[in-house]
Amino acid sequence: MASPSLATTIAGVALERPFVLASGILGVSASSMTFAVDRGAGAVTTKSVAWEPRRGHANPVVAPFEHGLLNAVGLSGPGAVFMAGEIEAFRARSDAPIIGSVFGADPEEFARVTAELVKAKPHMIEVNVSCPNVSSEFGVPFSADPVATAEITRAVVEAAGGIPVATKLSFHCPSLGVMARACEEAGASALTAINTIGPGIVIEPGFRKPVLTNTIGGVSGPAILPLAVKAVWDIRRACGLPIIGTGGVETLDGALQILMAGATAVGVGTGLWRRGAGLLDDLNTELEAWLEHEGCTSITEIIGVAHD
Amino acid sequence: MGHKALPILRIIDHGPDTKSFVLPAPFPTSLPGQFVFAWLPGLGEKPFSISEQHGDEIELTVKALGPFSRAMMALEPGDKLGLRGPYGSAFEVPGPAVLLGGGIGIAPIRFLARQLERQGRSVPILLGARSKDEHVFVSDFERLGARFATDDGSLGHHGFVTDLLRDLPMTSDTTLCACGPEVMLVGVRGVAAELELPMQLSMERYMKCGLGICGQCCMDGSGVRCCVEGPVLDDALLDGVTELGQTHRDGTGRR
Repeated sequence: MASPSLATTIAGVALERPFVLASGILGVSASSMTFAVDRGAGAVTTKSVAWEPRRGHANPVVAPFEHGLLNAVGLSGPGAVFMAGEIEAFRARSDAPIIGSVFGADPEEFARVTAELVKAKPHMIEVNVSCPNVSSEFGVPFSADPVATAEITRAVVEAAGGIPVATKLSFHCPSLGVMARACEEAGASALTAINTIGPGIVIEPGFRKPVLTNTIGGVSGPAILPLAVKAVWDIRRACGLPIIGTGGVETLDGALQILMAGATAVGVGTGLWRRGAGLLDDLNTELEAWLEHEGCTSITEIIGVAHD
Repeated sequence: MGHKALPILRIIDHGPDTKSFVLPAPFPTSLPGQFVFAWLPGLGEKPFSISEQHGDEIELTVKALGPFSRAMMALEPGDKLGLRGPYGSAFEVPGPAVLLGGGIGIAPIRFLARQLERQGRSVPILLGARSKDEHVFVSDFERLGARFATDDGSLGHHGFVTDLLRDLPMTSDTTLCACGPEVMLVGVRGVAAELELPMQLSMERYMKCGLGICGQCCMDGSGVRCCVEGPVLDDALLDGVTELGQTHRDGTGRR
C-alpha cells in the first residue's frame, strides 16, 4: 500500500505537507524560511510587516515559563518593500507556498502593505489583526471587533488582486463564529486561528519585576492548545472556510486534535523551541505512520471528523 | 528555564571597560562556546558567551560596548543580574586543536582552555587584542602557555593573531577553534582553507529570543540559527553560510 498522503489544500493553495510555519516564527528572511522548508514545513508565513520598518520592543521579548512562552516581540519587521524582496528570494529558492503576513495601523496601511507584498507573488496573504503585544501603540486588537476585522479584511482582499486572503483571528472576541462569518462575507478565502492568548505577565520574584520590557506578552505553547482546538471547532461550525489551526501544537496528538476539530492545515511555532527544529519532520513522519495505522489513505479523511 | 535573578558573588576588574562577573550557576552544567542572556530590568537583555563554569559558579567576561554592557560596569558584588540559558552549540575538540581569541572574544576561549586543562590536555592558545591593556586574564593564560599579539605591539607579536598560526606545528586534524571579531574569523577561515585544517568559529549576530524561533539571528544561505546551530559553527555549517564577513541584519531584519 502506498504511504498515506499528507497533502492538503487551503483556498486553492496546495501543500505537500500540512504543517505551516506560523507568522513570527523564523519568518525574517528567505534563508530563515527555507531553513524551515528544509526541515519539513509544508508552507511558511513571513513575519508580519507594516509599511515602515519596525524595531519592535526592547529585549527581553520572550519569557519562557513551565507550560509555554510569553512573547512581546512587538511586530519587529523590515517593512513591506524589504519583505517583498525576501518573498521573491524565497520563491526563487523554494516551491513551498509562502504566506505574506500584513499588519497596519488602519485599513489603508493594511491595503498598502498588501499591494506591495503581492508584487512578489506570495501564494496567500495573512491579515494579522490579532497581535496582542502592541496595544500601547495601536489600542485593542482589531480582532476583538467583527466590524473592524471585516473592514480590514475587505481592504486587503481588494489590494490582493486575486491572491487568497486568510484573516488571523484571536481567541479573544465575543464569538469566533460571528467573526468567521464576518470575514467570509468580507471576502476572506481562509482563516488562521489563533494568535497568542492574553496577553499575560511573568514576574521574576528575585527582581520583583515583570520579565518582559513590554510587561505584557502573548501566551503560546502547549498551555493554549485546548483553546486553539475550541477556536477551530467554533469556526468550523460557523462557516465553510478552510482553517490554518494554530496554537500549542508540539506533538502528533496536538496536531490530530487541531485537524479533527476542523483545520485544513496546522500552524506550528513555539513547538520549534521546545522540541527543536526537527519537530516538523517528526510530525510529518508520525502523522503519516498514524494515518497508515488507522487505515487512512489521506489526511483529508480526518479533517473535522470530531464533529461527526 | 526562565529568567532567574542571581546575586553577583565577585567581580574581576580587567582595566578599561572590561569586567568579569562571577555568579551562582543557575544550571548544573554548560559547555565552552555556549551563551546566556543577561538581564537587568529596565536596561534590557543581551547575550554573552560563558567565560567559565566550574562547580556551582558561572563567569561572564564583559566589555562595555553599548548601553547595556556599560550599565553592567556599575554593578557591584551583591547586586543582582538575571540569567537565562545555557543556549547554543559548543566547541568540540576530541583531537589536537589550536585556540584563537580576539578582543573580548577570548571569553569562550578561556572557558575552553580551562576545561581542556581540567581534562589534563594542553593545546596552543593564541590571543590577539588592539593593545596590552585590552588583554584580559593574561597571567592565567600565560600559565597555560598562551602567546599574545597586539595591533600596536605593546604585548607579544606586533600584528594579527593569525600570523602566529604559521609558527605552530600542526597536523591535518588540528582544529582551529576561534572567537573574535568577524574580520579575524574571516582571517582564520582563510588560513584554515589554505592549510586544509578543520575549524570551529564562534559567531555573533543580533539576537532576540535565543530559543531558535524568532528568526532574527538566522544566517543567510542555509538559514542556520546563530542561537541554536551556532554560535559555534563547524566546517559543514560554515559552508552553508553566505554572509560571513558581510553586513549583518539589524533589529528590524534589514541588512
